[in-house]
Amino acid sequence: MTRHVMIVGCGRLGATAANALLDRGDRVTILDTDAENFRRLRPRVRLSMYVGDGTSHEVLRRTGIESVGAFIAATGRDTTNALAAQSARTTFGIEHVVCRINDPTRSEMYERLGLTTVNPNQLLIELVLDAMEQ
Amino acid sequence: MYVIVVGAGKIGFYLTRELLAVSHEVALIERDAYVSATAAEEFGSILITSDGTEPTVLGEAGAERCDILISTTGQDATNLTACQVAKYSFNVPKTMAVVTDPDHVPLFRALGVDVTISTTELILSHVEEELTGGPFVHVLPLRGAASGIVSMRVPSGSPVVGQPVSRIKLPQGTLLTAVIHKNGELKPVVSDPELAADDAIVAITPPEKEDELWHALTGEARR
Repeated sequence: MTRHVMIVGCGRLGATAANALLDRGDRVTILDTDAENFRRLRPRVRLSMYVGDGTSHEVLRRTGIESVGAFIAATGRDTTNALAAQSARTTFGIEHVVCRINDPTRSEMYERLGLTTVNPNQLLIELVLDAMEQ
Repeated sequence: MYVIVVGAGKIGFYLTRELLAVSHEVALIERDAYVSATAAEEFGSILITSDGTEPTVLGEAGAERCDILISTTGQDATNLTACQVAKYSFNVPKTMAVVTDPDHVPLFRALGVDVTISTTELILSHVEEELTGGPFVHVLPLRGAASGIVSMRVPSGSPVVGQPVSRIKLPQGTLLTAVIHKNGELKPVVSDPELAADDAIVAITPPEKEDELWHALTGEARR
């Protein structure tokens, strides 16, 4: 089943997620405030790229948030991600929302508030520790 | 009261000064070293140069015993995060956020920010007042947002001009709290003053009664 996913932030995480989703056949709309970051992606049929602020409800609405089924907040800033993700969930009622949070003490709070968070650093640390065990 | 102010920009700086002047205990948190250095000359040791959205920083600032956290930066995302961390990690009883994008106001309320101060809406309401000679100025939403404090000016053609305050048929649930004469003199409502044109009225009213209150004070339907 083809899904339509909106991603805010076209850094390494956002771009990699976009490519993986496109490879699986999903549709992707990606936003970044800096057009330069789109160099990480090449044009593809089911990919839309927009320069804009993913915390602005007006921008989210204009770029089609009302028709997406999933939302990923993937910028490098926790505060931006938290605002974008909570906008997607609370203001636009998106069911599947994932939010990148780098600070582990904050991600625990957001989890308590019902937000699904991922912490790249934490994942990396776990992988490193696992590798050392072997 | 113990107040934590996040952001030592224009709003945070002057707010902190006012709060100290009325003897509140204040901690001011500013992330930017340059902005912080300017504020340090005025505030000294109550200034913390760090990120006010980080739980460890707020913890060290004593967020556990804080009564109000006010986040005043120009970034909505920062202000929301500071308020949410204060509320949900430290149980700060009251959080206030400056909101730049008016679209964020309902979201911030839904996410647990107790008071939102939208600079755009604030300025706009004053602009409207100046331009049209009178709609409501929403002075302050009250806790729970069921009612708010509003202010308006009595137009010269209003049927209430020359009438005592007690004759005004106020909508249910509305309380007239003050009458201010155009020369700035406060007329106590208990003395039942007679209203004059250009008197400013301050009232507490639920939002759905605003049109009715407007009609009671102007004799006209609200535009």
